[in-house]
Amino acid sequence: MHNTTRVPCRHLPSLRLKPLALLGALLLPAAASAAPDSAPDVRDPAEVYRQVCAHCHAPDKAVGPEITIAFPEAAWEARGNYIRMTVRNGRAAMPAFRAAKISDPELEALIQALVSGELDDAPAQGGEE
Amino acid sequence: MSTTQRILPKGVSEADFDAALARFREILGADSVLTESDQLAPYTKIMMAGDDADYIPSAALLPTTTEQVQGIVRTCNEYKVPIWTISTGKNLGYGSAAPGETGQVMLDMHRMNRILDVDAEVCTALLEPGVTYQQLYDYIKEHDLKLWLDPPAPSAIAGPVGNTLDRGVGYTPYGEHFMFQCGMEVVLANGEVVRTGMGGIENSSSWQVFKWGYGPYIDGLFTQSNFGIVTKMGLWLMPEPPAYRPFLIQYQDPEDIEEIVDVLRPLRIAQIIPNAVVIVHTLWDAGTHVVRKEYYDGSDSIPREAIERIKADEGIGEWNVYAALYGTPEQIEVNWKIVEQAFGASGKAKIMYGEEAEKRGGGFEYRSALMKGDMNLQEFGLYNWRGGGGSMWFAPVSQAKGSETRDQTELAQQILGKYGFDYVAEYIVGWRDMHHVIDLLYNRQDPEETQRAHDCFAELIDEFAKRGYGLYRTNTEFMEQVAGTFGEPLREVHRTLKNALDPNGILSPGKSGIRQ
Repeated sequence: MHNTTRVPCRHLPSLRLKPLALLGALLLPAAASAAPDSAPDVRDPAEVYRQVCAHCHAPDKAVGPEITIAFPEAAWEARGNYIRMTVRNGRAAMPAFRAAKISDPELEALIQALVSGELDDAPAQGGEE
Repeated sequence: MSTTQRILPKGVSEADFDAALARFREILGADSVLTESDQLAPYTKIMMAGDDADYIPSAALLPTTTEQVQGIVRTCNEYKVPIWTISTGKNLGYGSAAPGETGQVMLDMHRMNRILDVDAEVCTALLEPGVTYQQLYDYIKEHDLKLWLDPPAPSAIAGPVGNTLDRGVGYTPYGEHFMFQCGMEVVLANGEVVRTGMGGIENSSSWQVFKWGYGPYIDGLFTQSNFGIVTKMGLWLMPEPPAYRPFLIQYQDPEDIEEIVDVLRPLRIAQIIPNAVVIVHTLWDAGTHVVRKEYYDGSDSIPREAIERIKADEGIGEWNVYAALYGTPEQIEVNWKIVEQAFGASGKAKIMYGEEAEKRGGGFEYRSALMKGDMNLQEFGLYNWRGGGGSMWFAPVSQAKGSETRDQTELAQQILGKYGFDYVAEYIVGWRDMHHVIDLLYNRQDPEETQRAHDCFAELIDEFAKRGYGLYRTNTEFMEQVAGTFGEPLREVHRTLKNALDPNGILSPGKSGIRQ
């Protein structure tokens, strides 16, 4: 759901999908498969928020201010401009994020989702913590 | 004549630069060659105490393939255009995503972000430079692989390739990242591609498992250097252990650092405690979630009285040791007894894990996450300690000996105090060495304070070098000065290699103080 799977690049080694031989209980990973994988071209706003923003801005992290609270519609444009400027230029402790990391279409969708409150219930972090 | 203040690479005419840009557009497509100021703005944000005007790129290139990187360097050679390579560009406090000097073209590898291979049997990965820890973490979870990563504190938004190439560290047993690197693909300045280790053998299955290959081992030449552009890198991943016990040991007196290190050293060397342990000072442990002005609002160094209040109010020690045990539950029980016995001998240590440790006021929760390779950016809370966005990591290496640690701590506190800054520090314990990592935090929006931070950092470098302490890594503002502390013979070797491998000096000029 997070990353798309792509066909291996032509000169890359094929992926190894063999099951594990069990050599005892100590420190062995489970049998697994894996395939070449890259970040998708355009991630949806919740995914960008989870991968990048939430680590600092989620309420339980409190490293940066909470950013998912909805704004009145009349303020969306101004708030959006502020977010765009902050993301691209950084601000004090906030790093700048380049288009290579959050593309322009991703940023525009993220802004819309943030100002409208769509991400207000976004999970603080993925994985299995 | 130009009517605008166009930024050009040093020594490159406008006509040649335009010709190079046209070539770059042919190679990458117009959308992947950035020249507009709003596109380049993210490449100018720095946290170190340098002049913003010294770190402005002339353009940025966003390749997605090795072949494109080859085309770029060939063009750079033709027009003598210098490029500065970044991967995820989140080397915050070390130079971030900014160039080494104004005018350089950014070679931004972030879009080369494929996870090429993960082998769950031999626990290896082959990655491109743009892969982030978060991306690899998600991949491992999605495929239900029982493998752990070893992220540095910026974890999620940084990446394994860039961090390893800068010889960064993490907090699991795989904490010394370059030690767990295996095999590279490198584009040389002449456009040729070389694979290191076993990678030169066609169809080798050993590229990611046997580091040394045949003949001279050269992977180190491509770390903290500007001798080539790494387009693929192998690394080893840690198998998830059956059990894991993070723990916290607190000491209350400043001089206790000596005892901590001397007790810890044999446990680390013998791998009883296998991970990259941290010994965290009060202000670092508090600084990830406490704001300085709650305790002290002066512009000088925070006084001892305020530090004692923080310790009492927040439940934090003067020194806070975060470490972990890994293995089967039985192994952990055996090793835990050894740890308790060793640290309990003097009666000074408070040793705890589980709920007891969680209730303390420091960073147990996020440290526990990092020591098992989870994504966590809580450490960025340090940037709120003083505020204003200024941060530089001063990171001298020491032996893991108590006497040396105490000497370094006192010297650092003395110099930081002279300039009005706080000792916000931790030691990261390797097998026999320690990285003494000090975050020089300052208000970058205050020019006077920024200048003071600059002077302080310069004095720290010089005074530590006089006592025989060198830095393991530094930011772009001070690379030249730090290179000088390692002596002219080494610099001459670097220069000779540079001239041989990159005769036009197009790759990251000035990286680690290396130029033609």
